[in-house]
Amino acid sequence: MKLGTTLYALTNEYLSRRYSFEDLLAQTAARGTGPGLEIVGFQSIRGFPVVTDEFAARFKELVARHELVPTSLAINADQEIRRGRVMSDDEMVAYHEPQIRAAAKLGFPVARYQYGAGPDVIRRLVPLAEKLNVKLGLEIHAPQHANHPDVIEYREMYAKVRSPYLGWIPDFSSTARTVPPSFLEFFCAKGVPESLIAMAMDIWHGEGDAYKRMMQYKEKARAGGFDDLQLNELSLIFPMFGKQEPRSWLELMPEVVHIHGKFFGFDAQGNEEAIDYAALLPLFRDGGFTGYMSSEWEGHMYSDADAFQMIENHQAMCRRILAMN
Amino acid sequence: MDYIPAMQTSRVISDNGLQATASGYRIDVRLPWYRSLPVSTVEVGEVCIDGQVIDPGKVTFELEGRSYPLADMENQVDKVWFVLDSAYLNVETTPHGGGEHDVSVTLNLYPPYIRGLKRVSRDRKNLQAR
Repeated sequence: MKLGTTLYALTNEYLSRRYSFEDLLAQTAARGTGPGLEIVGFQSIRGFPVVTDEFAARFKELVARHELVPTSLAINADQEIRRGRVMSDDEMVAYHEPQIRAAAKLGFPVARYQYGAGPDVIRRLVPLAEKLNVKLGLEIHAPQHANHPDVIEYREMYAKVRSPYLGWIPDFSSTARTVPPSFLEFFCAKGVPESLIAMAMDIWHGEGDAYKRMMQYKEKARAGGFDDLQLNELSLIFPMFGKQEPRSWLELMPEVVHIHGKFFGFDAQGNEEAIDYAALLPLFRDGGFTGYMSSEWEGHMYSDADAFQMIENHQAMCRRILAMN
Repeated sequence: MDYIPAMQTSRVISDNGLQATASGYRIDVRLPWYRSLPVSTVEVGEVCIDGQVIDPGKVTFELEGRSYPLADMENQVDKVWFVLDSAYLNVETTPHGGGEHDVSVTLNLYPPYIRGLKRVSRDRKNLQAR
C-alpha cells in the first residue's frame, strides 16, 4: 500500500486563496505527502470537465517535476442540476463521458464515481473506461458501506459484467469506531447542550442503520424540547459516520482500486480519534492491496487547522502502523 | 465527502467585500462549498443591510461580468460558479452613509449530486463600504 494526498483535504488552503492549485502540488511534494495525488475535477479545474491541451500539458509537467503520481480523479454524478428534475440515464451517461475523458487526458488511472450515477449508467460506461484505460471506482462512504442496499446493487452489476475496470474506493468514514471528539467539541463550542450531544451519541452507538438511528434521535430530541436548528445540525453525525466493522471491507478487496483514508483528528497518542487505523490498514495490506491510499482530512469542514500538518501526521501514523503489525 | 453541514457559514461574504455604488451596494460573495456548482443550484436567500431586509427584486446576481435577476438563477443550468471566483450581489438601495455597515447574506445551495439536500449558509459581517 502506498500513500498520497487528495486535494480535497486542502480545501481550506485552496478556498482561502492562500495556495493555488499549483502551490498545493508543490507543497505536497515538498512535505513528502505524496507521491499519490487525487484531485476533484470540479474543484481544481476551471471549466471542468473540459480540460484544455494547455492545462493537461502544464499538469503533466508539474506532476513530473514534483515526482507525484496521479491516482484518482474525483468525478460527480450531478443528477439534479435542474432543480426538481432528475437526469435520465442517457443524460447521466453523457454527463460522465467527458469526465472520464478528462481523467484519461490528465493521466489518472482511476475515476472516483458516486453511487448516484446508478449501476445501469456505470455499466454503460465500461466500454469507454476500457478503451481509455481508466478504472471506475465507486466511492463507498458513510452512510453506505460494503453491505448497504445501494452498494449491493453495484456488487450485483459488477458480478454480471466482470470487468477489471469496475472497482471500489473504500472510505473509512463507513467503518468508524465513534464520532470524532473534535467534531463534538465544535458543537459544544457553538452552544449545543452536552445533554443533547450525549443523547445523540448514545443512539449513535445503538442498533439499526444510520437513517433509522437518525430518526430515532430526532424524535427523542424534539420530544426533549431541544432547539430545532441545533438538533438538526447535530443529526449529521448519523449519515457522516458509519459504524460497520472494518472486516466488512474484506469481501470487496479484490476489486479495490483506491482508498480514501478519511480522518478528522488525533488523540494524545497520535492515533486517529475516531477511526481504527490499526485494524483497517493491515486488512488491506494483508488482503493484497498494493495501490494508493489518499490521506483525506475532512476536519476542514469545522476546523481551520493546518491541513498540510494534519496530512503529515496522518501519514506518519499510517507508516508506523504498517511497520508495526 | 457528501455531507457538509452548515459550518462554513462564515464563508459567504468576503472580507472587505462591501462596495458603495451609484445605486446602492455591491457585495462580494463566495460559493460556500468545496467545489464549483451550476448557478441553477444556488439560491440567494435573505439579504439584509443595517437591519433592513432588501426586496429580492432590488438584488441581482453578477458572475463573470453578467447579471441575473435572482428569480432567473434557477434556469442557469449551463452557467457554472467556479469555486475560487467571487460573485457579486448588486443591491439597489439608498446608501446609509459612511462608516460600518451590518451586512447579512444567506445563500442556499442544492448540491446536484445529493438529492433532497438544501444547504443554508448565513453569513453576517460588519464592513466598511469601499
